[in-house]
Amino acid sequence: MAEHHSVSDSKHKASAVNIGASLSGNGRSSPAGTVGSSPTGALSTGIAQPAGWQSLLSFTILFLAWLAGFSARLFAVIRFESIIHEFDPWFNYRSTHHLTINGFYDFLNWFDDRAWYPLGRIVGGTVYPGLMVTAGLIHYVLNLLHITVHIRDVCVFLAPVFSGLTSISTFLLTRELWNQGAGLLAACFIAIVPGYISRSVAGSFDNEGIAIFALQFTYYLWVKSVKTGSVFWAIGCCLSYFYMVSAWGGYVFIINLIPLHVFVLLLMQRYSRRVYIAYSTFYIVGLVLSMQIPFVGFQPIRTSEHMAAAGVFALLQAYAFLQYLKDRLTRQEFQTLFFLGVSLAAGAVFLTVIYLTYTGRSTLYAKIHIPIIASVSEHQPTTWVSFFFDLHILVCTFPAGLWFCIKNINDERVFVALYAISAVYFAGVMVRLMLTLTPVVCMLSAIAFSSVFEHYLGDDMKRESPPIEDSSDEDDKRNSGNLYDKAGKVRKHVSEQEKTEEGLGPNIKSIVTMLMLMLLMMFAVHCTWVTSNAYSSPSVVLASYNNDGSRNILDDFREAYYWLRQNTEEQARVMSWWDYGYQIAGMANRTTLVDNNTWNNSHIALVGKAMSSNESAAYEIMRSLDVDYVLIIFGGVIGYSGDDINKFLWMVRIAEGEHPKEIRESDYFTPQGEFRVDKAGSPILLNCLMYKMSYYRFGEMQLDFRTPPGFDRTRNTEIGNKDIKLKHLEEAFTSEHWLVRIYKVKKEENRDPLVHSPRSSSSRQKYTSKKVQDPPRFSNGEL
Amino acid sequence: MGERSRVIYFQVLGLQAGELYLWTATSVKRFLRNFLIGPFSSQSHSRETCSAARASSNMASVSSGFPFNLPVASLLLILLLCLHSGGGQKKKENMLVEKVDQMMEWSSRRSVIRMNGDKFRRFVKAPPRNYSVIVMFTALQPQRQCSVCRQANEEYQVLANSWRYSSAFSNKLFFTVVDYDEGADVFQQLNMNSAPTFMHFPAKGKPKRADTFDLQRIGFASEQLAKWIADRTDVQIRVFRPPNYSGTIALALLVSLVGGLLYLRRNNLEFIYNKTGWAMAALCVVFAMTSGQMWNHIRGPPYAHKNPQNGQVSYIHGSSQAQFVAESHIILLLSILNTNASWEACIHYFPYMISRINQCEACIQ
Repeated sequence: MAEHHSVSDSKHKASAVNIGASLSGNGRSSPAGTVGSSPTGALSTGIAQPAGWQSLLSFTILFLAWLAGFSARLFAVIRFESIIHEFDPWFNYRSTHHLTINGFYDFLNWFDDRAWYPLGRIVGGTVYPGLMVTAGLIHYVLNLLHITVHIRDVCVFLAPVFSGLTSISTFLLTRELWNQGAGLLAACFIAIVPGYISRSVAGSFDNEGIAIFALQFTYYLWVKSVKTGSVFWAIGCCLSYFYMVSAWGGYVFIINLIPLHVFVLLLMQRYSRRVYIAYSTFYIVGLVLSMQIPFVGFQPIRTSEHMAAAGVFALLQAYAFLQYLKDRLTRQEFQTLFFLGVSLAAGAVFLTVIYLTYTGRSTLYAKIHIPIIASVSEHQPTTWVSFFFDLHILVCTFPAGLWFCIKNINDERVFVALYAISAVYFAGVMVRLMLTLTPVVCMLSAIAFSSVFEHYLGDDMKRESPPIEDSSDEDDKRNSGNLYDKAGKVRKHVSEQEKTEEGLGPNIKSIVTMLMLMLLMMFAVHCTWVTSNAYSSPSVVLASYNNDGSRNILDDFREAYYWLRQNTEEQARVMSWWDYGYQIAGMANRTTLVDNNTWNNSHIALVGKAMSSNESAAYEIMRSLDVDYVLIIFGGVIGYSGDDINKFLWMVRIAEGEHPKEIRESDYFTPQGEFRVDKAGSPILLNCLMYKMSYYRFGEMQLDFRTPPGFDRTRNTEIGNKDIKLKHLEEAFTSEHWLVRIYKVKKEENRDPLVHSPRSSSSRQKYTSKKVQDPPRFSNGEL
Repeated sequence: MGERSRVIYFQVLGLQAGELYLWTATSVKRFLRNFLIGPFSSQSHSRETCSAARASSNMASVSSGFPFNLPVASLLLILLLCLHSGGGQKKKENMLVEKVDQMMEWSSRRSVIRMNGDKFRRFVKAPPRNYSVIVMFTALQPQRQCSVCRQANEEYQVLANSWRYSSAFSNKLFFTVVDYDEGADVFQQLNMNSAPTFMHFPAKGKPKRADTFDLQRIGFASEQLAKWIADRTDVQIRVFRPPNYSGTIALALLVSLVGGLLYLRRNNLEFIYNKTGWAMAALCVVFAMTSGQMWNHIRGPPYAHKNPQNGQVSYIHGSSQAQFVAESHIILLLSILNTNASWEACIHYFPYMISRINQCEACIQ
């Protein structure tokens, strides 16, 4: 092994000169416009003084990649403003805010009584604190230096800044795997690739933004520690792993991939002291560190997804012990011992596998059958279109990089091959795991591009004295078609190749180079286009465009949340569907019943039941939950499709799961099995609380002269129940475009009026007069 | 064995005296058919055979067929003779008992009772009934080419077997099936124009709207069917699927095959170290995933779409949220070409990819 290793090392050194040459190509292809950095001048001197210029160039390129990555993520901030743009991160922001005000220990012990009323939520023990602590730390350091920034700005720009760190760690990792030129290309790719931008634009303050950096850095340190076999790098890897555990639940990917790597190395008989030292240190220290996160706790020694790591640890110890015994014992003794050990181990592994599949199946079953999990759109398989959309040409070139890696295998390339295969599998199963695939695609594509450039951009001066080991990559590259089924290469063959290489001629070389550069340019254009159009539209504000291209911003959400913040009492409790829980808590600072942390299914089902029952039944539930206000999202006026009526069936389904006697999904369908809100819709739907609140007074409103009053633009129908009377609720606020509607739950009268008593009419009068006194705010939609 | 279980059944039912006569008669004739005629007669339980059996002397058949059951049978016979005179006015109940009995007997043979038009009218539609019936209307004949029916039938069989062999099995619920080719008149009578359809016929009254299973929305998984039945009849069925060993067997076969091959070639294991082979395998996985095979596997889209109006076959789905199997095969091929061919060659294919992605982008906009 060691011998193999030194060969590959020397290869890297030998080809170092070549990298300077390929850099000019990289620079031009990077969107930051490295064109300005005078590549020709750098190149000519770079050959004379390779080391200095080379590090300057790579530093410049990395810096520009960082800059490009940072600025590509700013579309949303420049077009709108510097706020948290997505809905979910409002919780992260709120807890970061809490952290900066009350300090770290108070944050760890934080019991949030504003969420999940009346249950509350222990926030400190149920979040991955890495994101908040990072942002809080940056804020603290900046303020220590008397740079007074608001914590909000730190949160908004955290993900773009970390994207730069990601590209640096990708550079380091790819340099370990292949060479420096590939590393620089990989850094440029990951800086702008849409698959990663989708989770790290400015204003999306989410765990994934910093987790990908931690992921890549952990992998870099792991590869480094496997290569060197030093405890120092292994401990560094553990610390980085600790940061990853604190940041994102995706750390499970690391704790399975690294054992897999070790296991495959054992299978390939690539065991060495270095692997032993690296993995033993990593497993023990990493395990202890990961258990320090309150949310993770004892999971690493309990749950099935961590068991592979433990199993490989035991296997590695056994293997090392056998190796030790092999030196001490005679062959005969060793064989008997070996067979005994192997049979015991096989039995143990068999039992564990049975146990694990048994426990694993139940969780899988739950995942399929709980409607809340099924209702989240991110948990869907991936079509090839999304692969292409998120990765563009990288998806076509990364198999080539994988091919090169496997053909020139060594310890760390085993790792990257395993990473690629497992990540591509997971990305195929679930759209959101595209995020873990993106870094490896960037690295492998960079390897592919780098070897092409190395081949076609190499200047003739260098060609005359090619280092012998160096030729193997190019050799493969050159006639990838013919050489595939050749087991080993003959030296004579290589020299023949060199001759044909010289006959290639400068024309073909330059044509191929141009085409490659054009591809990269198209990639950069595609990335910018996708980032600008698909991933930078904030969901907190909606934008619409007029015919002349001018833009309208619909700011209904913030309008409504600020209304709540200013006009309701401090302790008011707002009921809404769980999608809006974090926003209400973050923006309006009011108590919510359910939120996006969907830990309590029955509580959510109760809210769903209230929404799908009729008004008096819902009133009972709302009174028992102390609800003061009900907030709903209604898109019928402007044609916003993500509103509550469209989500309504999920509410019914989730409510049915817990209360099958009262709520039945089939009641909300027409006899033909359709979900309709017009006259043909089922009467239960037309009288349920959600319907009434959504369409209250909507029947009086004529949006357009071509349509009748009460015409729902989202569902393109005229609503079925125009004469809606509310008994226990009153309209408190409706935003400008009716996007958010807030209702106040009336306090109970002294006593329920008897139906036949003469006094009931007077109380009804009082009710109507109240409505006239306090008219709800209306305005005609401008759209 | 039959006799004893019937006696217990008799007690459970708590039948009245008038029913007893009929019960004895049918049980005797059942024994007759099961043990004497049964092996020779075909599956069709024709009423003629039964009435013939009834016409023949009960005494003779009992004594000749079942000497070991003689004490019990004679006891029943005494009862029968005693009650013979007073049974006239309870004809309706007799009929009911006979029907229950008949149904029980059928379902003891097969968990799903096959019905034709006559039987359906007699046992499911006709009023004196104290049991619920779940009917699957289907078309299982091969010439009907109803693949959904076959899948639904499998699920239905799983459910019916779970009920049949559960400890809670009783005469309150029966599973039946009406095939279109055997009971087309039933389909016409019920105004039914699609198969498969699941209907519940309650013990009392006519089936309501909710008694037709909403196949379109819920699907026909047996768990869903069980939930629906629990909802309609208050009978809880715990679905027990027979474990599917085919995957395990296939895996074991594969492993043994590979192991055998390795053993045969144990002197020459060089090929395991062949990097090209491993690289090929890795690329296969990558291509399969990036071309969206996993989506196909999970969602099961059609291979291609044929436009019913102009007969055009489109292989590429119009939206970017879905795809056809053919589409992913095309992509698979393209990306293999892209990567494996030399770098120049890939340039020819990129315009196609680019135009496709532009189309997708247009869709999104």
